[in-house]
Amino acid sequence: MAVYKRTYQPYQGPLTPGWSRFLVIARQAYRRVFDSRFLILYLALCMIWPAICAVLIYLRHNAGAIAMFKIDVARLIPIDGMFFLRYLAWQGSMAFLLTAFIGPGLISSDLRNGGLPLYLCRPFSRAEYVLGKMSVLLILLSFITWIPGLLLFGFEANLEGAAWFRENLFLASGIFLGSWIWILTLGLLSLALSAWVKWKFVAGALLFGVFFAAAGFGAAINEVLHTQSGNMINLGELVRTIWSGLFRVPVSTGLTPENAWMALAGIYVLCLLLLDRKVRAFEVVRS
Amino acid sequence: MSASGKTGDRPPRPSVDGAAGPPSFSSDRITFEDVSKFYGEVLGINRVDLAIPPGITTLVGPNGSGKTTLMNLMTGLVQPSRGRIRVLGVAPDEPERLFRMLGYCTQFDSFPRALTGYQFLYSYLRLHGLAHKESDRLVWEAIERVGMTEAAHRRVAAYSKGMRQRIKLAQAMCHQPQVLVLDEPLNGLDPMARAEVIELFRELAAGGRYVIISSHILHEVDKISDQVIMLTSGYVVAEGQIQAVRGEMHQDYPMQVLVRCDLPGRLAAQVFEQDHVVEVRMHADRKGLLVSTRDGERFYDLLQRLVLEGVISLESVAPADEDAHSVYEYLIGGEGGAA
Repeated sequence: MAVYKRTYQPYQGPLTPGWSRFLVIARQAYRRVFDSRFLILYLALCMIWPAICAVLIYLRHNAGAIAMFKIDVARLIPIDGMFFLRYLAWQGSMAFLLTAFIGPGLISSDLRNGGLPLYLCRPFSRAEYVLGKMSVLLILLSFITWIPGLLLFGFEANLEGAAWFRENLFLASGIFLGSWIWILTLGLLSLALSAWVKWKFVAGALLFGVFFAAAGFGAAINEVLHTQSGNMINLGELVRTIWSGLFRVPVSTGLTPENAWMALAGIYVLCLLLLDRKVRAFEVVRS
Repeated sequence: MSASGKTGDRPPRPSVDGAAGPPSFSSDRITFEDVSKFYGEVLGINRVDLAIPPGITTLVGPNGSGKTTLMNLMTGLVQPSRGRIRVLGVAPDEPERLFRMLGYCTQFDSFPRALTGYQFLYSYLRLHGLAHKESDRLVWEAIERVGMTEAAHRRVAAYSKGMRQRIKLAQAMCHQPQVLVLDEPLNGLDPMARAEVIELFRELAAGGRYVIISSHILHEVDKISDQVIMLTSGYVVAEGQIQAVRGEMHQDYPMQVLVRCDLPGRLAAQVFEQDHVVEVRMHADRKGLLVSTRDGERFYDLLQRLVLEGVISLESVAPADEDAHSVYEYLIGGEGGAA
């Protein structure tokens, strides 16, 4: 046997904090996202509704503009829970479409090409990998949901004064929590489906299926059984029920916020179990 | 370091280097202690005991023999069903410590789309926790080492198979690990690139690193390896230096020696009298013999005596089956065939 002399020098320099390394994956993904003109255009489109909302808020407080455009103040939309609920509903729809474009491809290509070992043969866990992939959505969706939402709230509070701010602080928490519930739902579902089917387009189709087919099935249950329990499998209604609680706006989904929370928690657990099962360096295929 | 026949239960592997029993964990070996891995009811590897020293170690075996499983166990990507593994004293379930000292090159071509060779290496170094400046420096070092400087800023998607293989090697070694685990690293390389990469392995091993390679290309295994581990159906059937492994098999597979000399007929008459000689065959040109013997040492003693006594004059003596290919054929060839 050859005699070896240890001449190599291992790296012994400083290291970045472990918690920040998942952001490397997000940075990698954004390079692709911002290479796409379509996605940049779409992100710009996502800012139109917040801009309209800002104009509506501005108009309510600008006597000059009201007089100039001869606007009937009574017909202007009040800036209240319903205003922000509608804001979130619209931005939530835009977030859903954005997720359908980006989410399904995040994990599927790595799994299909056997790319997971490349990530996992680093000081980097499966949980960090999933968090890294999910952060791509979490950050992007934040920019079109709660961040402009809180800016709108701040804008209104600035124009209305401190008393309005104190009385309506629940709206700010509603915007923040409501957005995060929706972002987490979309993120977990799209990643779980992406990991499950390993095919971007099929995962995208399934994401639409989970929302719309399940909603249709839920409506059929409601119709046949003369109940509203079918809404338990309607993700849109579940989230609307929770949002309405957060914004203190009554809605008629037939669900209590507790039921909606439980159903949503069940979906989260299912998604996490699916991710735990599928996001592995090597999958066992039984013939 | 030893060879064994395959049995249904744990194969006995007599020790060549005198180390009795299972390997003890040490900080200068990669050790497997009674390790088994089952994928449900499917056997990955069974009851493996190994102690891998520095240098180039090649895993040889047909498809499905357990080479990749062994590598994945070493790198902690799969967990053993039983037994214990230590890489230079570190357990594979301590990724923060393990992957500072270990680099892995998988057999899959899996690259994030749209990245250049430089970005590919840079991203993975950042995942290791290196800052920008250090990452940049180490990326260029690794890229230069695999001869990819010119192509560093081209997209990996546009690389040839050989270039992808080299950039994968670069990603495995760019963080300067002590242990390199390389799954089929010579696949897809042209002869020139193969020679360069083999030279690179030698350089890395000469510096005191552990280079673990899996390969199907047996004639290169001899050239590359300091030691081999032969696997079939999840069992280790031989491990150690090829010559030592071959030496253990003389009873079942007599050693073959090619002798070229001036009087092959006289030599044949002499060797036929030896009880350890099994077969002697004359070359077609009648200037040499192929001798099969169960005791190489005694045969070489005899040859030396005949030369010293002036009975024959030797032209050349060479073992005919003391290489990885022959050992593989004897131990696995009948059931493997993948090589």
